[in-house]
Formats: sequence, C-alpha cells, structure tokens
Amino acid sequence: MNIITGLINGMISGATPILLAALGGTFTFYAGIFNIAMEGMMLAGAFFAVLGSYYFDSWLMGIVCAILGSLLMAVIFIFFAVTLKTDEFVTGIALNLFALGATTYMLRQIFNVKGAFSNPGIVPIPRIHIPLLNQIPVIGEILSGQNLIVYITLLVVFISAFVIFKTRFGLRLRAAGYNAPSLDSSGVSSAKIHIWSLIICGVLCGLAGAFLSLGYVTLFSENMSAGRGWISLAAVILVNGNPWGIALISLLFGFTDGLGLLLQQYMPSQFTSMVPYVATLIALYFYSIQARKRKV
Amino acid sequence: MQRKLISGIIGIFIALLIGAIIMLLQGYDPLQTYGALFNFSLFGLFPFATTLRNSVPLILTGLSASVAFASGPINLGQPGQLLMGALFATIGGLYFDLPPWLMIPVLLLLSMLGGALWSGVAAMLRKWFNMDEFITTLMLNMIADFFTFWAISYPFFDRSAYSPMTPQINTKGWLPIWGEFNSNVIVMILAFAVIYFVFNRLTAGYEWRITGHNSLFARLGGVKIDKNYVTVMLVTGALAGLAGGLVVMAGPHRFLKGLGANYAWDGVMIAVVANNGLIGTLLYGLFFSALQTGSLGMELITAVPKEFIMVLQAVIVLVIVAGRGYLDIFLDKTVAKRKARERTT
Repeated sequence: MNIITGLINGMISGATPILLAALGGTFTFYAGIFNIAMEGMMLAGAFFAVLGSYYFDSWLMGIVCAILGSLLMAVIFIFFAVTLKTDEFVTGIALNLFALGATTYMLRQIFNVKGAFSNPGIVPIPRIHIPLLNQIPVIGEILSGQNLIVYITLLVVFISAFVIFKTRFGLRLRAAGYNAPSLDSSGVSSAKIHIWSLIICGVLCGLAGAFLSLGYVTLFSENMSAGRGWISLAAVILVNGNPWGIALISLLFGFTDGLGLLLQQYMPSQFTSMVPYVATLIALYFYSIQARKRKV
Repeated sequence: MQRKLISGIIGIFIALLIGAIIMLLQGYDPLQTYGALFNFSLFGLFPFATTLRNSVPLILTGLSASVAFASGPINLGQPGQLLMGALFATIGGLYFDLPPWLMIPVLLLLSMLGGALWSGVAAMLRKWFNMDEFITTLMLNMIADFFTFWAISYPFFDRSAYSPMTPQINTKGWLPIWGEFNSNVIVMILAFAVIYFVFNRLTAGYEWRITGHNSLFARLGGVKIDKNYVTVMLVTGALAGLAGGLVVMAGPHRFLKGLGANYAWDGVMIAVVANNGLIGTLLYGLFFSALQTGSLGMELITAVPKEFIMVLQAVIVLVIVAGRGYLDIFLDKTVAKRKARERTT
C-alpha cells in the first residue's frame, strides 16, 4: 500500500510543474504563438522564488518574486516577438539561453555560489493538511498533505478550461490563433490578445518554477528546469492544447517520473532518469499514429 | 551581403552598449572589462590561438544547425549528437591501436558516425511514424545526456578517478599541437570547405536549399523531399558528432562529465544570428568564441564573473535578430523615399 501511495504522490509532484507550464503554453498555443520559452520562464521563476523566499523569509514572497521574474521573461518575449515582430522561434531560443545565463550569473553575483544554492534560510511552500480528509486511511494520504501549489494547479486546470472555452476572452484568444487578421478587422487587436496570453503564460510558468525550487526541493541549482519546459511543450502539442488532455498527459509524465525513482533499486539512476523523455517519445508515437488514421 | 555586415556590426555594437549599461549598474568599469575581454581573446598569438581552438565546436555545431534550418529540418539535437560523437570517438580511442595517420581519421569518422546515428534515430522516427523532429531531437538530447553519463560512470569508467570520466584515449589518437596552434582548426576548416562546396556548388546542396526555401516548389520540381530530409539529418548529425569528437581529441583526451558544456546550444544561437548563412556562421562562431575565451581573462582582471558572457551572448542574438528585421524596413523605406522624391522632381 505504501508503495502505491508513494507512487501516486510522486506522480502528482512530478506532474505539477509540467502541468502548470503546459497550461501556460496552451494559452499561447491557442493565441497562435509558437512559444518555446516556457523552459526559460520556469527557470527564471525557480531562481526568483528562492531569492524572494530567502530575503523576505516568506514563501509567499517567494511565489510573488517567482511570478515577477517569470513575467520579466514574458515581457522580453512580448517586446521582441510582438512589438518588434522578431521570429518567435528565435526569440524563444535566445530567451531560454538568456534565462540560463542570467540565473547562473546571478547565482554567483548574489549568493556567491556555483552550481547550486541551498540554505536553511529558504522557506519552502507549505503542505496543506485538510482537516477531515486526512482521516480517511489511504485516500487521505493522497488528497490531503499536498503542496499548496498542487491545489492551486488543480484550480488552474478548471479555470483555464473555463476561460478558454466559455468566456469572451477565450473566444478571442482562439480567434487570434485561428485567423488573426479577421480578429483585427472585427475591431479586436490580436496583438493585445497575444500580449495577454504571454502574460498568463508567464504567471503560470512562474508558479511552476516556484514549485520546482520551493516545493519539489528547497534549493536552486543551475538549469534546474532540466527540459521540463520542453516536455510541457510536447504535452501541449500532443493534445492540441486541450487543458483536460494536458492534465492527463502531465499525470502520465509525472507517473513515469515517480516510476523512475521506484526503478532506481533495479537499475542505474541514469536509465531511470531517461524514463520521462522516453515516455514523451512513446506518447508522440501514438499521437502521430492517431493523426495519420484521422487523415486517411 | 553588405547589409548583413552592417546590421551585424550595428547589432553587436548596440548589444555591447547594453552590456556596458548592465555593468555600470553593477558598478563595474565597462571599458576596462571589454579591454580585458578582447585582450585575452584576440590580441596576441596565444589568446588568438586559444580563441581559434575554442571556436571549433561552436562553428561545427553552428554549421550543423545552419545547414539543417536552411534545408528544412528543425534539427535541435546538436547537444545529443555532439555527446554521442564524443562517446564514439572516446570508445574508439580506448580500444584501437593504430598508427596516428590512420588512428586520427578513424576516430573522426567514428565521431561522425555517432552523431549521424543519433540524428538518424530522429530522422527514422520522422520517416516511419511522422514524428516531429523538433520534439524528438530535444528528447533525444536528454536521453543522450543520461546515456553518456551512464557510459562514463559504469562500462568505461576510469577506476583511478573520483568523478565519472573515462581513461585517456590512446596517445596516437591525440590531435597534434604545433606550438600554440591546435590542429583541430584544420579539421574544422576542411569540414567547412566540404559543406560549403556541397551546399553551394552541388545539385544536392541546391535541392536542400530549394526545399528549405519552398518545399512545395521543390517537390513539384522533382526533388525527392523524403530522401533529402534523411540525408540532411544524417549530415548535420555527423557535423555535430564531429564537434564532439574534436572536443575529446583536442582537449582533455577523455570523456568527462559536462564535456558538451553549452557548445551545441551556442551553436544553434550562432546559426540563428547568422540567419543560417554558412560564412556568417563561421564569423559569428569566431566572435562568440572570442567572447567565451576572453571571459576567463575578464574574470581574472576585473571582478565581472565569466557567466556574464552568457547573458551578453543572448542579448547579442536578440538585438541582432530583432535589428535585422527593423534595419531592412528602415533601409527599404529610405530607398522608397528617395525614389519618390526623384519622381516628383
């Protein structure tokens, strides 16, 4: 029983950052932006989360700083890709490397360390124990006692699905991706919609980063996003942006993450670390098989 | 060509200016810092030779990305292909014992084989299952990262070492060094010449370029898109693999953890700044290498940490690419204005 709850809890914490970033990515996906900067936004969020938590002695300030840091990346993206109309792919690549360079640089300038910064002064984001639920034997261990961000993420899934499919903003968002000129000619600026989608993406990636450095572990290390932004991009593409699909796919990736940890007893950790990436390839395989069938 | 040169120089200038502002904000002296940066990378025989040597992996991965992007495939797998190339060359260097004139070409070929094998996986996934190479190459990067880490931790681990690394390869596989000058540059120039010739002078290169430009037109003109796709993937993988092999054979002569550094992503950036032009890739590769080589001296002389260069590189890329589009609009406008004025008078 312990193994199963452990596996499920591992799945949830592995899925959370990917899910948050992918939900951010789905807003830009619907808005028709080829946004590959989630990786950089997440990394910036993770760094600023530690910075805020350490200097203000408060996890709340950590989250706020994470969102601000990630938003800074989003603003740079907006400035180049929307205002100056630089190629989105190029902007994304440059931004990811900028985030990597800037966080490594600041890690050295501010904390005077190389590689990783961990300190008892960093306040982690607390786990929430729900009073009655945690009395239930097995399910209680899963439903209660998760990190605060996990519950926020769950909320974000519902809100994203609602906003994208049921509100006027969502309609315009999808229109911007579907046919931007016709949205423009109906009097709504598609550039503005692009900007808002990137801001939302920035906020969500900031949360994802905060979870990485203040929830998953309590430290910041160089390049700690480790390709999660890319996996979240794959998740968005796999399900064509549907928030429910993204939640499912992210849980699948989280499961492989937890499975990898479990398998470490039987094989070298380098192979178990590959599992999520191999799972992405397998998921992509099924997706393209499906896509081919649909075409025929 | 001239326009590219102008926009490049203006872009670099503006980026350096932004870098100077960041330094001023932190209380560093920009002039002294840039002085140290270029003193330790360009002025003098030893600094320049070091810059040349360090530019090899950057230029080769940049070339790989340039050729791939210009021909269509979005091969972002250079980091993984570089690592696999380095691993293949290392394994060959550990087990083969041939005279140097044979050993070095064999190891170079092995490294190219390693890179091509890894990009070939992505190419086959695309060919058979229509899986987007953009994501598969990224995932294969991570897998190669862990795989090579495993390879140097267990099967090829140097038992006398404390951290994961292989033993040194056979000395016959070491690239010769003449004074300050490392012969990996010669291999790079050869590879560049071959690629330049194929890309600009042969029918194959013409087909690649046309496909990258307009694949529908190329297909209607009778170009075998699928076959060319696989060829381009294999060639670009081999280039990135060669970069990895050269890193091993010219530098530490063994595969140690973190060998790939950030070479390949820097190479992708170089291709992007150069707008996938081959000569541009060569020049920007040299420039980026100068920045990275000088950064150590910069850290020594001034208090600016060398990581600052990573920030500066990204700024340069963004400014040049954004500026290129803007400069084009600006130049077109002035030309149009002049013409309009000529008409009215």
